Amino acid sequence: MDLKLTEKKRIDVLSPAMGKPHRKGINFSPMIFIGPHLLLFALFFLIPIFFGVYISFTNWDLVNTPEFVGLDNYKEILLNKESTFYTQLHTGLGNTFKFVAFTVPACIIIPLLLAAALHVKPKGMKIFQAIFYLPVLFSISAVMIIWSMMFNVSFGPINHYFTSSPNWLGTQPYAWIALVVVTVWWGIGGNMIIYQAALNGVSKEYYEAASLDGAGRLQKFFHITLPSIKNQLLFTIVITTIAQFNIYGQALMLTKGGPSSSTTVLLMYIQQNAFGSGQSIAGIASAMAVILGLCIMAVSVIQFFLLRERK
Amino acid sequence: MHKKIKVMISCMIIVIFILSLGACSQSSSSDKVGKNEIVFWNPFVGPDGKNMQMMVDAYNKTNPKFKVRNISLKEADMYAKIPTVVNSGRNIPDLNIVHAERIKQFVDKDMLIPMDDSLAKYPEIKAENYVKAGWDIGGLDNKRYSVPLDVHSFVMYYNKDLAAKYAPHALDDHIVTFDEIKEAGLKAKKDGIIAAPVTWMKPAFLSVYSQMGGSITSDGTKPTLNTEQAVDTLKLYNGFVKSGITNKDGQDAGQAFKSGKAIFYPEGIWMQNDIKKAKNLNWGMTNFPQLSDDKNKMVNWSSSHQFVLLKNPERNKKKTEGVIKFINWVRDNSLPWAEAGQNPAALATLDNPKYHEMPQSFLIKDATEQKSLKIFDYKYNGYISEQLDKIGNDTVFGKLDIKKALKDSQKTVEDKIAQDK
Repeated sequence: MDLKLTEKKRIDVLSPAMGKPHRKGINFSPMIFIGPHLLLFALFFLIPIFFGVYISFTNWDLVNTPEFVGLDNYKEILLNKESTFYTQLHTGLGNTFKFVAFTVPACIIIPLLLAAALHVKPKGMKIFQAIFYLPVLFSISAVMIIWSMMFNVSFGPINHYFTSSPNWLGTQPYAWIALVVVTVWWGIGGNMIIYQAALNGVSKEYYEAASLDGAGRLQKFFHITLPSIKNQLLFTIVITTIAQFNIYGQALMLTKGGPSSSTTVLLMYIQQNAFGSGQSIAGIASAMAVILGLCIMAVSVIQFFLLRERK
Repeated sequence: MHKKIKVMISCMIIVIFILSLGACSQSSSSDKVGKNEIVFWNPFVGPDGKNMQMMVDAYNKTNPKFKVRNISLKEADMYAKIPTVVNSGRNIPDLNIVHAERIKQFVDKDMLIPMDDSLAKYPEIKAENYVKAGWDIGGLDNKRYSVPLDVHSFVMYYNKDLAAKYAPHALDDHIVTFDEIKEAGLKAKKDGIIAAPVTWMKPAFLSVYSQMGGSITSDGTKPTLNTEQAVDTLKLYNGFVKSGITNKDGQDAGQAFKSGKAIFYPEGIWMQNDIKKAKNLNWGMTNFPQLSDDKNKMVNWSSSHQFVLLKNPERNKKKTEGVIKFINWVRDNSLPWAEAGQNPAALATLDNPKYHEMPQSFLIKDATEQKSLKIFDYKYNGYISEQLDKIGNDTVFGKLDIKKALKDSQKTVEDKIAQDK
């Protein structure tokens, strides 16, 4: 192989915008554009990650110097079945996984159906689109305060109109139902917009051809629409899963982790251990956070693997 | 694009970026370090924050050498920031308000400096001039680490009209016993009126637990949550729930009281400005419910906001004196703090007739009442609080087995303490 030629081609590809390729030295232009972001990324993302991982190997109260303890924290939360922190990790991770399992399918399917419905451009489409998208713009505190009023046992409209009186936020399975409903309501818009854009990109010719062949609506949806927007689906599934793994605000504000810790998610334990009312146990909290991070990574990798483009 | 222009633009972007970053860090540090300024952190972000600002403004009008800059932070944020600033040694406030329960832990972590030397010039800042419960907290190892601003207690509000109807003599001695509450509750039940609302269980539990002879620690280190007295305390409340004289699980007790559907309402004195807003509500304030009507056995859960000096190498002697001057001024000028619904710890407030008219002043006016104010001082109080907040309502409403919950809580607190190596 002609090495010089390959090298030249590579440079041409790397700097198409520059007009003429740089043959010698390093090209700084891309670095300058990416620099500010890279700096912020390192400052607020990379450094904290490395510091967090380091802390997970220490015993630290946030005040004195962290004391290196090797794998002790991991042993405590992963192997010591007698330990409170072992129970916390298992309960917290279990509840987090439950939450992901309950919400992610709903957060994909409902926006997809809504996008498909809006795609046929019904009357008042823009209004509906605005209504569905609006909750995304609200802050989590506002959403949770509104919904805790909605679910209120004494004066909440939900119990009033359904003429029932369950304690939505304090008994199961209502607490889970409330969490899922609120989360889905809050997040519909984000994914819906992506699907709407994706659906607009699907060529009409496919549908026309399928109609000629006698395909029904469902067949068209499953054999044309879904395969055409596969990449957007993969993207939203991964992003939604990661987002739902980081559940904190809903459970904290709506159910306060109850009843009997059944909705206490891992981030709540992490927060309480690191920044609770008592002395900080930052080492254990960091180790839990690392485990949560690894779980999110593992699940994302599996999703990529399952949904990847097969050639 | 011409190479020179490219380089120029690139350089400009870099310079602007670096300058803006530099400006950020500069403004945050220079902001804090005013030479003749006392940076004062406190957790008063609610309506009480306005009263504190009023006090600070009034002090600054006296033209002190060191003016006070009032910075109110959300409680959780403030407690998260304190270790960070102390650790980094930068932007440490000159004066700080922390809760009484934190002091032992902060002293233990070597985060506070004793005030004894600076207090020598202000002899009026002494035990005799403050509410005992608030003052005692700040004295550790014969050193003074804090001076109290207030002592705030968890008491009981009552609806005067409903109390006259269902518990006519319960308030004669200013002590409402749990037996009297139960009796009134059973009478009022048929009218849809509740007598024993379940509100914030942590202070309620601690008050009753203490009345039963329980203590949250046996020796200052080991927690004691899993005891017979603790079981009995939660059973008492659970019994009320079972006999139908409380609010139902999930129902808002405060709403019930404000709309005239509850005879009694255990809450903090700091909630009175909220209660005042309720129209047509003829209310009064009394001690937290007691097991016996013996005045000397009364317990009212209390906490206290305390002035402390975080370790700060940049705070010189003169500034420290300025800080103490402010604390001494507050001692004589605490009325706005009482107007926020609190009980100032400085007994000088008692000289003001306006204070005597305030409902919460009954706790301070009377020496026996003062003795009933109990601050649950324990180095690991934070861990206990978290557990009580977690199991309180669930056990009382029968969603969690009392014995198991207490056993688990004991274990949790012990395991957390074990991490403090």
